[in-house]
Amino acid sequence: MDGLVELVASPLGQAFVRRALGAGMALGAAGALVGVFVVQRGLGLVADGLAHATFGGLALGLLVGATPDRAVWVALPFTLLVALGIQQLRRRTSLGGDAATGVFFAVSFAAGVLFLGLRAPRAAPVNVEALLFGSLLAVSPEALAVTALVSALVVGMLLAVGPRLAYATFDPELARISGVPVAALESLLLALTALVVVVGVRTVGVVLVSAFVVIPAATALLVGRTLGGILALSLATGLVGTAAGLFASYHLNVAPGATIILTLGALFSLALALRRR
Amino acid sequence: MSAALAARELSVDLGGRRVLEGVSFEVAEGELAALCGPNGGGKTTLLRAALGLVEVAGGTLEVLGARPGTRAAAVGYLPQTKPASSAFPARVVDAIVAARRGAWPLVVSARERELARSVLARVSGERLLDSLLRGLSGGELQRVYLARALASDPKLLLLDEPTAGVDEQGRVEFLELLQGIAEGCDLAAVLVTHSEDAVRRLASRVVYLDRTVRAWGPPAEVLDRQWAASSAFSGHDHAPPAGARYYESD
Repeated sequence: MDGLVELVASPLGQAFVRRALGAGMALGAAGALVGVFVVQRGLGLVADGLAHATFGGLALGLLVGATPDRAVWVALPFTLLVALGIQQLRRRTSLGGDAATGVFFAVSFAAGVLFLGLRAPRAAPVNVEALLFGSLLAVSPEALAVTALVSALVVGMLLAVGPRLAYATFDPELARISGVPVAALESLLLALTALVVVVGVRTVGVVLVSAFVVIPAATALLVGRTLGGILALSLATGLVGTAAGLFASYHLNVAPGATIILTLGALFSLALALRRR
Repeated sequence: MSAALAARELSVDLGGRRVLEGVSFEVAEGELAALCGPNGGGKTTLLRAALGLVEVAGGTLEVLGARPGTRAAAVGYLPQTKPASSAFPARVVDAIVAARRGAWPLVVSARERELARSVLARVSGERLLDSLLRGLSGGELQRVYLARALASDPKLLLLDEPTAGVDEQGRVEFLELLQGIAEGCDLAAVLVTHSEDAVRRLASRVVYLDRTVRAWGPPAEVLDRQWAASSAFSGHDHAPPAGARYYESD
């Protein structure tokens, strides 16, 4: 028991680990809850597409002279616009979500590469690797505050609209007949996903952030039987996976983002083994 | 007796094409009317217009004396397709409570659970209360959706081909169930069906719809016309015979 306490207490003695844990837990909670609705609607790839769009938004922020932390404020509206663009493309054309996401995914990422190339030669160098793979242990107090604020907003909105959003997910037509604003709620879901992804990219990177949205929800859906139970299981998976992965990465001296995702993957495998046949 | 559903010179467009034109008929309170006609004749569109899901292009459509979609709680609907995602954790009790709340329940209270059980009892489906929808057979699913449609004590029930895709035994059981419900209360109902058996057993009136109302009246009068029966239940022969009692909208 003392060993376990020491495993947790020793990293928490460091301020940067406490900030990383705070940001990771906030992201883990928001991603896990929004993910339940995203995965049930078959929009898991949208989270990945929005992560790549965020790269374009952050690069645009850097192009106009923002610091990496402040570039988030450019990436937020940029990614929200991409999310709404994906929804409009799905709604107004016969393209499915995967094709619509694929178009915006590629164009936004290419625009990001272009924006980085257009920066002034004397501009401060950009750590592209940190953008792609994240830098959880380098989370600044400002980035932690933004992550906590955005995550609280996402969780609060989901608590407020979750039951109606769930009804629209179950059957959009029956929900519409009951007076549920189905289209508006779908826009809101994409917007909330975009918010989670943008703050997540700053901490775990473009490549890994969608795992925070998809894996906890997929894990819970394997073993849960009711929506309330699935939301609780997804939340627990996101929080436990994040904390365990972060502490493991500290002691093993390996990349925290990747370790967290691998821990979430291990929890998913456990659920797969335990699921009712 | 006032009308539960009243269409007067109703027109509906879908995708720039006129799907319904000059449709006029009434379904009285407590009456079970069958809506028959060929595929593509506008039957489902008419139900969707009554639910407020598609716009009325011309004429009027009143549902329980109000505009479509404004008295949602008083209208029960059993859709033809059940698009619920297989990934969605939908238990029967949740689906029924959702119909009453207009939102998916995260927690079901004891009172709501009892209400769900009692409405399931009306369709002989109490044992399904805690089952997952994705594990039900076609016939069981129809019962649950009928219970769901009855959950808010509606005054009007709209049933869109409720026995489509159900095996023969399930179809007979479902029609008997519907007959029992229709006889046991003064609920008005509109039943879209391609089943002649269903029409003859259940309906007090038939509305034959093929873009407009081509004929209406008691089942014996409408369905004994060879043209109507053949096109509604098997083929697409739309030509009314000379001298048939039919309704021309213009």
